[in-house]
Amino acid sequence: MTVLILTAEEDVTADLVVAELHGRGTPLVRFDPADLPGEASMSAEYVSGDFRGHLSAGGRLLSMDGLRSIWVRRPGASAAHAPSPSPWLTAESEHAFFGMLYSTTARWMNHPQAAAQARLKPWQLRVAHQSGFAVPPTLVTTFPRIARLFAAEHRDIVVKSITGPPPGDPPVSLPTTRVGPGADFESVSAGPTLLQRYISKRADIRLTGVGHQLFAARKVAGPGQVDGRYGESDHTWEPVEVPDRIARAVYGYLRVAHLAYGAFDFAEDTEGTWWFLECNQGGQFGFVELQTRQPIAGAVAGWLASPPPV
Amino acid sequence: MRPFALNYAFPAPSTPVVGPFTYDSTLQLNVLPDGRPAIADRALLLAAGSTTSTAGSKTHFDD
Repeated sequence: MTVLILTAEEDVTADLVVAELHGRGTPLVRFDPADLPGEASMSAEYVSGDFRGHLSAGGRLLSMDGLRSIWVRRPGASAAHAPSPSPWLTAESEHAFFGMLYSTTARWMNHPQAAAQARLKPWQLRVAHQSGFAVPPTLVTTFPRIARLFAAEHRDIVVKSITGPPPGDPPVSLPTTRVGPGADFESVSAGPTLLQRYISKRADIRLTGVGHQLFAARKVAGPGQVDGRYGESDHTWEPVEVPDRIARAVYGYLRVAHLAYGAFDFAEDTEGTWWFLECNQGGQFGFVELQTRQPIAGAVAGWLASPPPV
Repeated sequence: MRPFALNYAFPAPSTPVVGPFTYDSTLQLNVLPDGRPAIADRALLLAAGSTTSTAGSKTHFDD
């Protein structure tokens, strides 16, 4: 039985898992949907109630009958590398390829449908509430008046993007940023805006959930540092114990969201409370593993290589 | 009108040059010029930032 890894060639974080699978002797095929059609080929037959499918890539032939699990890491857009790419060809290729994969019984980390829902930050906050996490008061709005009221009530607030920085050239950064007093909220009407009560934190927490294994890492925040991904800090990621209450909430969240993998970000306040900020269903883990030596890649490989539940 | 959140955007810092490494389709891994797997040089990878949290944001919403 074979593990299928969907990712770009230059994804060196995936290399950590590939090496683990090699070490276990687990067959794998690493494939970027961007290469179909062109470098790769597929065929799926739906005849007389039967289903057979094959993927040919990189000199390897993968039968859908022999597919154990699928890891969706950092795949390119379908047909992006085709000789004559087009939006239509991307749609055709995506439906053909993922439709074939959906027809199998393979386990997913994570299923694209679950992943699509899990990316929605407002939904994350709701599930986090229900799972038992502490969640900072948050507002998503296009009403300037409501934004002003929220700012007046919570006084110290941050703004963050809902999806990430806008694409473009030259690239821009859009970190979580404190909104100063006297801000003009009129332009909230120009786009949905996410405002959140500022948590004065003493550390960032990154908790990576892989199946039932949890790996938490802690990094002391720099003075005035709001977004742990930006700004200078002399500190590095260190392993930290997962409190029982947090572990229960993480398991609950992953179950509700149908996720096999999730990277949770928390802000640890001065009283030691872990405030839920987001759960990234495809979050990076290489930087944590490299600094903490936590065996996250091994856990991912173990989950992918494990037999399906009976 | 410019959306409120974009008032807090700024030019992204330049991306460090990563590598050199190339993809080996036989191993299904990236390799260094001397043939070793790229992940063997962990200090280089960490310093180059290719596996850090903001790296994923360049092509994906996930980081």
